[in-house]
Amino acid sequence: MLLPEFDFHEPTTVSKVCEIMGRLREKARPLAGGTDLVVNMKKKLIRPENVVSLAKIDDLKGIVLKNGILTIGACVTAAELAESDAVVKTFDALAEGARVLGSPLVRNLATIAGNVVSARPAADLPPPLMACGARAVLVKASGERSVDLNHFFSGPGKTVMDSSEILTKIFIEVPQGRYGSSYIKLGVRQTLEISLVNVAAFISLDGPGGSIGKVRIVLGSVGPTPIRAKSAEEVLRGQLPSDALLARAAEAASADAQPIDDFRGSAEYRRDMVGVLTRRALTAALDRATSR
Amino acid sequence: MKRLIRLNVNDKDYEIAVKPNQTLADVIRDEIGLTGTKKGCEVGECGTCTVILDGKPVNSCLVLAVQADGRNILTIEGLETDQGLHPIQQSFVEKGAVQCGFCTSGMILSAKSLLDRNPDADETEIRSAISGNLCRCTGYQKIVEAIASVKKEASPA
Repeated sequence: MLLPEFDFHEPTTVSKVCEIMGRLREKARPLAGGTDLVVNMKKKLIRPENVVSLAKIDDLKGIVLKNGILTIGACVTAAELAESDAVVKTFDALAEGARVLGSPLVRNLATIAGNVVSARPAADLPPPLMACGARAVLVKASGERSVDLNHFFSGPGKTVMDSSEILTKIFIEVPQGRYGSSYIKLGVRQTLEISLVNVAAFISLDGPGGSIGKVRIVLGSVGPTPIRAKSAEEVLRGQLPSDALLARAAEAASADAQPIDDFRGSAEYRRDMVGVLTRRALTAALDRATSR
Repeated sequence: MKRLIRLNVNDKDYEIAVKPNQTLADVIRDEIGLTGTKKGCEVGECGTCTVILDGKPVNSCLVLAVQADGRNILTIEGLETDQGLHPIQQSFVEKGAVQCGFCTSGMILSAKSLLDRNPDADETEIRSAISGNLCRCTGYQKIVEAIASVKKEASPA
């Protein structure tokens, strides 16, 4: 399977990348892990004239937990996320998403930025990132902006980014007090699987044995983008946690989903599974919030 | 336009002119001539092209050769020493874990990567470590047994 020909660029600074992307725009694609871009180029789904490697830019690497903010460089791999102490002790959901992405071989290549900007509706990192309140930093020659990932995806493969921007890092404010998060993926096999349904949940509690403060539930693979289960969140907000409450939230999440029938599963099955997974994800997030 | 890259493959240095659209798998097979690295699906799903890149197993069909410039690569040919087969290779032979052999290079490299990190890996960890490597012959059982039996014997070279 041959790759089409292209010019290869390997800048060593973010400002150089921005200069190249600003000049070439749609004619260039940034290359991080390559597990999406190289495959799509081999399949001739895209044929960029220029490929701009991000691998030699040190500013795009590393995970830092400092001053209550977890910052993850664009080129951090799924394997690095899964094994990072900083990630594991702050956002379980993100570590759980990273652990089930692709295969062990793919996880050593695939990056957080790639999994986000490719904007696949079933991707494993966007739901946990959205649930945990992550923001992406987008940079171009004329300046930078930060975007809440809850307002980042606009359709399958589509985001709010313009063609001259690159995603340089993702950051998440680490909440004070009791909170927990969880991500659950449902597929028919363990590895190299595209989710039938996935659910990420984040919950904070107002003190020990207190009521639910912040809550975010994100449903993946049941809409054109990962979607927030807003009515399920509404059911939970301000309430004292109980099994009956979680059951009502799960039911509301099922109604929030917009699944379709395809060869992986029927819409009806997916809607049912949204309920099951939501309940399990909420239970795990609550347990973690309680024991934190 | 071709670019000159340096690769260290199995402790040997190479300087090779490659085109940007050549993958690492292509260069290892066609330019260096090490055909133990296989090409199956070529889209990162089968694991037959597994090599260890700077200590981590990856699908070499998804890595551009130009991206591997200056890096260390271990292929299946790098495991055997003057003392003979690597213990994992020996175990695959003894346990009958090789049938057609097409997945074997990748299986052994994924197994090596696991056992280097975790010599006492249990069955679940073994199955997880080789989950990106597909075998269509054995049903995996003998492969898992071969990897599990290595750790009980002498430590890997």
